[in-house]
Amino acid sequence: METIFQSVFSGVLMGCIYALIALGLSLIFGVMNVVNFAHGDFVMLSMYFTFWAGSLWGIDAVLTPLVTFPLLFLFGVIIYYGLISRTLREHYTIQIAITVGLMTFLRAITQLVWQARPRALTYSFIQGNIQVGGYVIALSRLVSAIISLIIIGSISYFLNRTWPGREIRATSDDLDAASLMGINYQKTYAIAFGLGSSLTAIAGGLLMTFQQVDPTMGLRFGLLSWCILALAGLGSLPGLLISGLIVGVSESLAMTFWDPRARLLVIYLIFVLVLWVRPRGIFGRK
Amino acid sequence: MVKQVLQIKDLSSGYGKVTVLRDINFQIVENEVVAVLGSNGAGKTTLLKTISKLISPFTGEIIFEGQNIASYPPYLVAQAGIAHVPEGGKLFVNMTVYENLLMGIYRNRKKVKEDILEEIYEIFPILRERKNQLARTLSGGEKQMLSIGRGLASQPKFIMLDEPSQGLAPKLVDEIYQKLSILKKRGITILLIEQNINYALQFAERGYVLENGRIVMEGESKELLNSEHIKKHYLGI
Repeated sequence: METIFQSVFSGVLMGCIYALIALGLSLIFGVMNVVNFAHGDFVMLSMYFTFWAGSLWGIDAVLTPLVTFPLLFLFGVIIYYGLISRTLREHYTIQIAITVGLMTFLRAITQLVWQARPRALTYSFIQGNIQVGGYVIALSRLVSAIISLIIIGSISYFLNRTWPGREIRATSDDLDAASLMGINYQKTYAIAFGLGSSLTAIAGGLLMTFQQVDPTMGLRFGLLSWCILALAGLGSLPGLLISGLIVGVSESLAMTFWDPRARLLVIYLIFVLVLWVRPRGIFGRK
Repeated sequence: MVKQVLQIKDLSSGYGKVTVLRDINFQIVENEVVAVLGSNGAGKTTLLKTISKLISPFTGEIIFEGQNIASYPPYLVAQAGIAHVPEGGKLFVNMTVYENLLMGIYRNRKKVKEDILEEIYEIFPILRERKNQLARTLSGGEKQMLSIGRGLASQPKFIMLDEPSQGLAPKLVDEIYQKLSILKKRGITILLIEQNINYALQFAERGYVLENGRIVMEGESKELLNSEHIKKHYLGI
């Protein structure tokens, strides 16, 4: 019984970070209908940047988003104007080719720069364990989950209460109508792409407080976020969070009771099942 | 001296390689209410879309307050002060009624307070009641009113209405035109597109008749109503 609780709880904590990663993907896909296959590799890239900032300048992993957030935002905006904006009027297969190409490129670059071996940071000031009623909780995971929730809440505020946020929602609802209101959709798309990318910087920093990074990680995070997005559908932030938790807990249970190597398999199973049974997701609109 | 608001010169436009509008010429002066009439597929909607630049014209000039806006992107046309209430309303369906109206303020967001919405609630009291509802939950008539309200919220110099009566029951059409006459009294320059010739010519001062992408007739509303061509082809008398 205790093992189950422990496993579910650690799954919930991971699920919060997963939801944060998927939120980035959801912003991009929801607004401009572009399938960014490189999203998971943005997470990996963020983790390597965190590793650099940590090992070269001694910045604690939790604090690296202060540097990597603007960096990834800029990276996203450049990718948008350089690659994505040119493909908007093209067939969607061209967009897939472009983002899959970007994915391959990022993997190759990270292998060149950081080599194929796993990298980790030695110390974060949120390391250590705390005891809650007989259960052991890793402090780094708990803090990471809380920060993820705060960021998701902030994004919700941004989307509902600020002008750039409303621009994103209006453009996502009806591109023509948004243009008729005076919205420059190219700018809105660039902001959405930049923001979606920069969320991976926060997730990457948090992940590096308790795990290592290697060049194949992008696949895992890409798959994770697609699975969460498929579960959640578009347009519901609470739905996205719950889906993140479902994926986190399933992964954790599979690792505890089956085999740690089965984690991706379980996620893939959920993904296929959702697409098969309910393609618009559990919480999605329309 | 009367001030020209919009002047269209030798405009042709369409989709891809298909030409829909040919050699369109007309103008609207300040405070005028002008109707463009025509049957389905005559090119009415294409005309409005070309003016607001959702479609780029092939040739010709679109002069708004002395500026040729033919090469503007759509968002700059909107920012210049042209409001386009599109066919079917085109609301932001996953946003609330209030947020839809707020998007109307968008072009003036740095100058205006939200008080301007009070004026719109006065014209359309139902929108105040529905304020916090998602736009997708509104009835057809309410959707049309919200779309017009959203257009007005931008405090336009010139507003274009694409078939405000489309798909509505006759009683609702009366109500919409009652609301539109409030705008007319306020002196807003209006370009109206309508299939319903009776409503359009009672509301507008002048009209143009569009057939197969060309303007075939123009004149005062009364003249048009009495013309043999209109009677025969559009009113079935």
